Amino acid sequence: MKIIESIMENINYVGAIALFLIGLHTVVTHRNLIKRVLGVNIMGTGVLLFFTSIGNVAGGEPPIFIPGSVPGIFVNPLPSVFILTGIVVVVSITVYSLSLVVRIHEAYGTIDQQEITEMIKEEEYHD
Amino acid sequence: MIDQLPIINMIMFLVLALAIPFLRKVSFRLTLILGFVVLGLVTVSSVFILTDVMASGPILYRLGGHERLIGIELEVDLIAALISLFILGLALVIYIYSTGDATEGIEEREYARYYILFFILMFSLFGMVYANDLFNNYVFMEIMSITTCSIISIKRKKDTYTSAFRYVMLNEIGSLSFLFGVALLYMATGFTNITLLQQALSTLWPAYSANVIIALGFMLVGLGIKAAIFPFHIWLPDAHASAPSTSSAILSGIVIKIYLFVMIKVLFKVFGLRILDDLNISAALIAIGSLGMIFGSLFAIAQKDIKRLLGYSSIAQVGYIVLGIGLFSELGLAASVFHIFSHGMMKSALFLSVGIVVFQTKRRKIADFAGLGQQLPLSMGVFGIAALAMIGLPLTSGFISKLTLGVAALDHNQGYLIVIVILSSLLGVIYYLPILVSAFLKRIPEDAARPHLEKVPRPMIAAIVILALAIIVFGVFPNWILDIIEQAVATLGLPA
Repeated sequence: MKIIESIMENINYVGAIALFLIGLHTVVTHRNLIKRVLGVNIMGTGVLLFFTSIGNVAGGEPPIFIPGSVPGIFVNPLPSVFILTGIVVVVSITVYSLSLVVRIHEAYGTIDQQEITEMIKEEEYHD
Repeated sequence: MIDQLPIINMIMFLVLALAIPFLRKVSFRLTLILGFVVLGLVTVSSVFILTDVMASGPILYRLGGHERLIGIELEVDLIAALISLFILGLALVIYIYSTGDATEGIEEREYARYYILFFILMFSLFGMVYANDLFNNYVFMEIMSITTCSIISIKRKKDTYTSAFRYVMLNEIGSLSFLFGVALLYMATGFTNITLLQQALSTLWPAYSANVIIALGFMLVGLGIKAAIFPFHIWLPDAHASAPSTSSAILSGIVIKIYLFVMIKVLFKVFGLRILDDLNISAALIAIGSLGMIFGSLFAIAQKDIKRLLGYSSIAQVGYIVLGIGLFSELGLAASVFHIFSHGMMKSALFLSVGIVVFQTKRRKIADFAGLGQQLPLSMGVFGIAALAMIGLPLTSGFISKLTLGVAALDHNQGYLIVIVILSSLLGVIYYLPILVSAFLKRIPEDAARPHLEKVPRPMIAAIVILALAIIVFGVFPNWILDIIEQAVATLGLPA
């Protein structure tokens, strides 16, 4: 029971690491190029979730200062700022790699890694 | 004023990159001249920075004047100043070369785009060298991933797309691992600023050992993928072989070196010797470096395509640098930094001279190099000088870096490493010498069909001749640069 309790307490970290690993597995093993791009996205989500959950303070309020109010415990805003940058970065990488997939599809007529590898090997053989 | 120069350098690159699209209507020559002016100005200001840093210590600059805890900080210490000058030197030579024939395989209307990418890449390189903040390093890393992959895939050929795709996927795994490491360190300490992290980690290390160990592992793997350190090298040969020659030179000469520089920064400035010694990272780095030196060379022997051969040779050379870092001594690190410089020059010279050969003969198989020495004496001559320097012949910069590395290994009581260095050099002889022999000594019959040669633009020749001269100058007079490097390395607090 203790194990389950500690997992429940740290469910954010467990989830983040699970997402990271699922994403890594998808990038490394899948043949479909678009699924690999998705894998990178999932990996990124895992890391970003990890980063934001570090900044969370139990019972904390959003770090917005309203004149006249008594400030309570604030959530650490810095990781959220990092994450905004991180999201932009992951989006731009996704756009770039998807555009590459479009070009690959134009050139080879398929987005299956294995078929592309076979085509490249055949071309090299004829060289 | 002088403390504003680092940020001015970066802004100049960024503004130029953003200005190029607006220059489309006017002559392309103007873009080239502007690029030259900016590179020149940045060189002048970097020389100023170097002299100032040598005289009065590191330059600190805080963006927006915010304090360290929440702000972005740039720090230029002596190593950073040196590395930025090295980047500029190589970039200038590659730029001169690229003005001759922007690069094989790029369509004329893409030239302007190539230079946009080039200057954004320079911006991110400088950002990574200057940034004193791990999260900023990550952001610049990602800018660099996109630009480096784009200067590969800008060539409209089938194989560039697949190799750029593989490169971008592995790059992304690398940067996300690095970011995970940064997050773990932030969890333990609450800082991403390198100076603050170092202070915090030295006291927190026993209490948060799990975080620190996992973070170190993630960061080393991430940087290892990006720097093509041996077990993570699979993207490199494809990416180098299919890219245009100038892009290959940038990738192999500058980009992977900067990741190694960030690795030096992470190891010695963030974690510090005590943690590294407790975890025995030294042995791991030495083992990885030695394996890379041997296996990179072994793979290179089997190659038929000249650019793939050069790519595998880069993996072996990265092994030397990792080995030097892994010795954890001042002389070892000095050898690594010197090899970063000398390998940057040698590999760029090789890629650019091969680029001229490919430009003139339209062939790139190693077998086609037979007899080329008589037809193309200048470019094959530069290729020969650079190849001999890679093997480590005296009077070239390659010899000095291997000698320094050997001496450092002896100082560290690890004489057996010299055997590995020599073995790797001998393997280098096996794959470089046959090319030279068949190019210069093989007699081709008079009536044999010779490849049709195209005329070479002058800037291309000038660029490779400058590189060849630099290799020899660094080999004959290494002391002035080694002195500065040793002075720079001394600030990291390693044992002598």
